[in-house]
Amino acid sequence: MKALASVRQTFAGDIGTAIFSALGIAAIAWIIFLAIQSPTDLFQTLVIGVADGAIFALIALGYTMVYGIIELINFAHGDIFTLGAFLAIPVLGLFGITDTVPFTPAIAGILVATAVIVMILNGLINITIERIAYRPLRNAPRLAPLITAIGMSFCLEGAMFLWKGPFHVIFPDLLPNTQLSFGAYTIGVKDIFVIVAAVILVIFLSLFIARTKLGKAMRATAQDRQAAQLMGINIDRTIAATFFIGAALAGAGGIIYGLYFNTVAFDLGFSAGLVAFTAAVFGGIGNIQGAALGGLIIGIIRALNERYISGSWSDVVIFGILILVLVVRPTGLLGMRVPEK
Amino acid sequence: MVRARGLVVLTLAVFVAFACGGNSGGSGSNKGTISIGVDLPESGAAASGGLSTLNGVKFAVQQAGTLSGWTLTIENRDDAVQGSYNEAKGVQNVQDLIANNHVVAMIGPYNSAVAKAEIPITNPVGLTMISPSNTNPCLTKDLPTCSYHPQDLRKGKPNNYFRVVATDDLQGPAAATYLYNTLNVHKLGVLDEKTVFGVGIADAMQAKFTSLGGTAIRDSYDPATTNDWRNYLNKFKDAGATGMYIGGTDDKKACQPRHQFAQVGISAWPYVGGDGIETSQCIDDAQAGAIGLTATTAGADAGQIPSAAATITAFKAAFTGANDYGAYTMSAYDATNIEIQAIKKALADGKDPNKIADFREAVRANVAATSGYAGVLGTTTFDANGDTSAKIISIYSVKDVGAARAAQGDLTCGTKTNDKTLCYVWVTQFDFAKS
Repeated sequence: MKALASVRQTFAGDIGTAIFSALGIAAIAWIIFLAIQSPTDLFQTLVIGVADGAIFALIALGYTMVYGIIELINFAHGDIFTLGAFLAIPVLGLFGITDTVPFTPAIAGILVATAVIVMILNGLINITIERIAYRPLRNAPRLAPLITAIGMSFCLEGAMFLWKGPFHVIFPDLLPNTQLSFGAYTIGVKDIFVIVAAVILVIFLSLFIARTKLGKAMRATAQDRQAAQLMGINIDRTIAATFFIGAALAGAGGIIYGLYFNTVAFDLGFSAGLVAFTAAVFGGIGNIQGAALGGLIIGIIRALNERYISGSWSDVVIFGILILVLVVRPTGLLGMRVPEK
Repeated sequence: MVRARGLVVLTLAVFVAFACGGNSGGSGSNKGTISIGVDLPESGAAASGGLSTLNGVKFAVQQAGTLSGWTLTIENRDDAVQGSYNEAKGVQNVQDLIANNHVVAMIGPYNSAVAKAEIPITNPVGLTMISPSNTNPCLTKDLPTCSYHPQDLRKGKPNNYFRVVATDDLQGPAAATYLYNTLNVHKLGVLDEKTVFGVGIADAMQAKFTSLGGTAIRDSYDPATTNDWRNYLNKFKDAGATGMYIGGTDDKKACQPRHQFAQVGISAWPYVGGDGIETSQCIDDAQAGAIGLTATTAGADAGQIPSAAATITAFKAAFTGANDYGAYTMSAYDATNIEIQAIKKALADGKDPNKIADFREAVRANVAATSGYAGVLGTTTFDANGDTSAKIISIYSVKDVGAARAAQGDLTCGTKTNDKTLCYVWVTQFDFAKS
């Protein structure tokens, strides 16, 4: 055991960093090699990776915000994401859209309206969950709210199962499937939509946290809850707002996912949530930019692996890289931001 | 519960009727009753398959009339509980049938899982079972991919379980032959869903495809964490593939890659899989890409066999209900006739149906020796495992059949407004007995 511990220590030290750097350089060299071999193929793969990663990033933001402020791994967050997609279907129905229809400018308006309604609904549901299952346990041992979070996850999945059954739910395919060509490079309109929507939401969130009063309150609460309270910040309201914003982003993510892949299922949130949580830790938990970066990197690794190695090993490769990164940088790529002790 | 009690009353009434008939009408040449047991799912959502199959048994028994003075009847049991097949109910049913001294052989069950539970009960007493519809290869074949094996079900006694349909392990080779010879796909992308079934069927397909001279590019996806298949599709496209095979089932997302074909610019590729994708859910998942989905199923489509036409016409004259005829009606008809032939031979050999154990054994031996029996679905010879020589795999492909045809309700179609007219229709069949 002692030998093992010393080996571990060695790997966490300079040798580990050297190995990690070597692997990093090898990976970059490999990507350059791929770029020389066929720049169009690589571009295509990266676009798919970035688009898929952007969706994970939107979910990861909710994990990272909640963890940053109350150090809770909100396991129900993945299901809140699924709920966004599920809620969007009846809301679209209110606007008369029940099945796939060709894209028109009117649909763009309907989609924006749907997104706003679903984000608000999702936020309110998440606030309710926080009020029922997490707030009473705020000063309880850390494991108690962890278990209620897992419980809420199963409750949400159960509710969605009762609502829509075990089958895949078909989300209307409302965006144009057009592929735009720039010389030999092609990019789908859907890919542009996903990437642009995610970037706008992340920028909006970053500005909100950096510039607004509520954002400042959130940062203060995250840094030191008691001190923030002494300064007159309403802790309960601030934490509720965090849950609201996280759920709203997850709801938007759910709609984007639905529009992009057109199929959702009641248990989608479990695996999507796991990947998103991984992305949040990868980037440095509590760190907004880190979560976004983590999501993108996981998306890109998956895409490169599926295209050039073998999809059978995607999860092994992703988590293998995660282990390597965390051994060398336990606080994630951009560093953790969690309450000070 | 009320329904179950009604069934008991009805069954008792039938018993009484037969008992009286046997006693009072015992004049002349009537020597008594011989029964063929039946175990099928006959209530709730599962009824449509079970009842139409039962009709095939009824039709054969009606045509047979009396056998050397013995009245032939059907001893029918329902193995559905709350609308779906139930193994425990099936076991209870066969125990009932075994206890009945008139039952000399049985038809059923409908579902492979029920057969797995029933064979260990019927085997020790040698009660012949012929299934019209079980396609799980593990019931008769000792394959490494199986989680259970026929020798474990049979408890060391001679085989009493037979079937008149082909097995799932022939689906892969049929798909490979269809892709290579009929669709002229010589380079194929093969994707499996990392399950025992998915990897198994894809391996079987790939082995045959390679032996025909084709090249396969193989990969797997994890159904839990995969939502986007475009990288796989691009990879297959780059390697020069012109078609794709999926080893999987619709509930593990096997039809979602098809939905993305348009985005990668390969809409014209055929997309072939096993019977796990011959579903409405699959058509819905593939949406605009549904046309061209192709699935194999074990067993013949009776509607396509010329020799079956006359029998089907006669059947439809006798059974006129809209749902009286189903996919396995003719299989059940053939299976019942094989048993009737075996009973006739036992009687001709001087066996006495009153000595039930001996008579059941004689029927079992006669069924096992069935050779070259010319039924409506083809010629049946049972091998040592109990499998039929008529190894037919049918191939179905999704086409736009129009609203009127889709509304007839006998095809598997999509359920959304924009794919309601897209349905699986029969394309061709492969007879592995010939190849």
